[in-house]
Amino acid sequence: MGAARRSRRWLVPVTAIAVVAGVGALGPVVADASPDLPGITAQDLLAKVQTAKVDGLSGTVRSAADLGLPALPGVEGESQIPDLLTGEHTARVAFAGPDKARVSVLDHMAERVLTTDGKTAWAYDSAKREAVKLALPARPAAPKVAPEREAYDPQAVAKKFLAAIDPSTAVDVTGTESVAGRDAYKLRLVPKTDKTTVGSVTLAIDSKTWVPLEVTVLPRTGSDPALQVGFSSVSFDVPAASTFAFTPPKGVKVTEKTLPAITPKKHSTPKALPKADPNKPATADRPTVIGEGWETIAVFRGVELDPGNGPLAQLLANARTVQGSWGSGKILTSKMVSALITDDGRVLVGLVTADTLAAAAPQAPR
Amino acid sequence: MSPSDVQAVARRSNSGQLPESAQRPGAGRHTLALFGAELHLVFGRARTWVLLAVLGLVPLLVGVAIRLSGSSGDAEGFIGQVAGNGFFLIVASLGLSLPFFLPTAVTVISGESLAGESSLGTLRSLLTAPAGRSRLLAAKMVALAVFCLTATLTVWLGGLIAGFVLFPVGDVVLLSGSTVSLTDGLLRALGIAVLIAGSLLGLAGIGLFVSSLTSTPLAAMAATFGAFIVFGILGAIPQIDEIHPWLLMYGWTSFADLLRDPPYWDAIVRNLLMQGAYLAVFYAAAWARLTSRDVNG
Repeated sequence: MGAARRSRRWLVPVTAIAVVAGVGALGPVVADASPDLPGITAQDLLAKVQTAKVDGLSGTVRSAADLGLPALPGVEGESQIPDLLTGEHTARVAFAGPDKARVSVLDHMAERVLTTDGKTAWAYDSAKREAVKLALPARPAAPKVAPEREAYDPQAVAKKFLAAIDPSTAVDVTGTESVAGRDAYKLRLVPKTDKTTVGSVTLAIDSKTWVPLEVTVLPRTGSDPALQVGFSSVSFDVPAASTFAFTPPKGVKVTEKTLPAITPKKHSTPKALPKADPNKPATADRPTVIGEGWETIAVFRGVELDPGNGPLAQLLANARTVQGSWGSGKILTSKMVSALITDDGRVLVGLVTADTLAAAAPQAPR
Repeated sequence: MSPSDVQAVARRSNSGQLPESAQRPGAGRHTLALFGAELHLVFGRARTWVLLAVLGLVPLLVGVAIRLSGSSGDAEGFIGQVAGNGFFLIVASLGLSLPFFLPTAVTVISGESLAGESSLGTLRSLLTAPAGRSRLLAAKMVALAVFCLTATLTVWLGGLIAGFVLFPVGDVVLLSGSTVSLTDGLLRALGIAVLIAGSLLGLAGIGLFVSSLTSTPLAAMAATFGAFIVFGILGAIPQIDEIHPWLLMYGWTSFADLLRDPPYWDAIVRNLLMQGAYLAVFYAAAWARLTSRDVNG
């Protein structure tokens, strides 16, 4: 066997690498090929989305978030930041009618189940082996079991952005794509203001049911999505009623709670936040809101920040100091979220630029 | 090389191989004989049985430790459920041996496979028949795959025995909160053992390739284990998380998805495809190396 023939044999492993790399890199691209769909105007599409109604659906939702938030070691586990806003997650979801929902978040070797059939709500955590039973009032205004339920529903996420549409938003249809095996239109919302860090929000709208299948948020700088929530598989068959029932397994600690008839608005969307009211000072868990639309800023008051010597202190030490007639504070910025922490314990947070925050500081109630 | 290795090689010589002559057996019956002889070689070694014995003892050690500590388990995850249901000792042991014990065993056996023959001098005679080289490599790989499966099944069996002896057993609570019968649970655990064996194939392929490069088995084992550690380090660096999904061990923990209701197949399938990709690349490289190798090399 000649040396040339011998070395030619190495072409086989090289080809194997090329094929593997090719399939790995191009596979998703081919799967995402733009389907052929009749043209539609942005206004028509918007109208269809806002009136879209399905009786039920089920599927798998994937979310990936990279808000550029600083990783704080040791803080992560007990963080108050909703877990949807950090890292990648997969959840199985099922919805039927207005009051039946089930979300199972597939954690690493564990699972968190949130389910409600309209009368009872269950929250089960397989890692802690604990279940919480929540008896819902006869006529709940809107049973908010947990924010996760909405966070893993691309429809609900899309609704928040659609609600933000106002004259300051440019809306256009930018093409088609295939999401979870379904043909979808891409509706892009671009804020006209340059005060926000949001570059654009793209909704993938199913061409048959007009339900949003995927939401992609791009920051003003960079091309990597800051947030992407979408179905990786979806079925529009109404799930069986048994899907929403839950029987606590043996050996699991069950805590029973009753939700009062008047649901306190614990978790509200930025849109529904109370307007700034000087007579009603904001507290740590009840933010005041300045501005509207894309420039919305939430103000928390009386936040006790005791960074000590931890990584947070280090972060604050490196942060830019800003001053004005309102006082002085430190500004933390990431590619999506900016925060201004004033020396008198107020925190301003928003999807806005650092300068916008500083400009809004005088309006923030003390 | 221990005397048992020489015996094992000699046994293969008697089972249809003609290592001293220039001829390799033809197709059909002889191929089967070759595969059988490879299995004999792997499972004829004392060290193989020592490795399997250690793996079989993992569940027992874990079980005894949990039993002695006496706590009903504040630990999260599968370990915390062992005291309540011995079934989970199987899953916990498989999960515990996956990061270290199983890869070590696979490294030892795969590093040995070709380099061992090289060091004994038996490879030279096997290589003199070019037509037989591909088949020889296939037989080596099949023997490695059988070892991977034997190793995980040993842990499964060890967990089954220790779990049933040390703890109460009963219906199995899945991650999703639903309960299935013990038989269903045991079948799922068996599926996990098979999946983990599949997860080890990529590493076995790397070991086989490294083993074809050298005639020192110890060097091959060290290099393979070194590669395994490098993968582990790369996977632990958050700054390069873009390449994490393509690392060898990225999907290794997907086996737990079998305990969901219904099982979540996406991650499992992806992991098996990844292992297949690693195996294909390194098996092809080992093939190129072995078939282009000088007889004396």
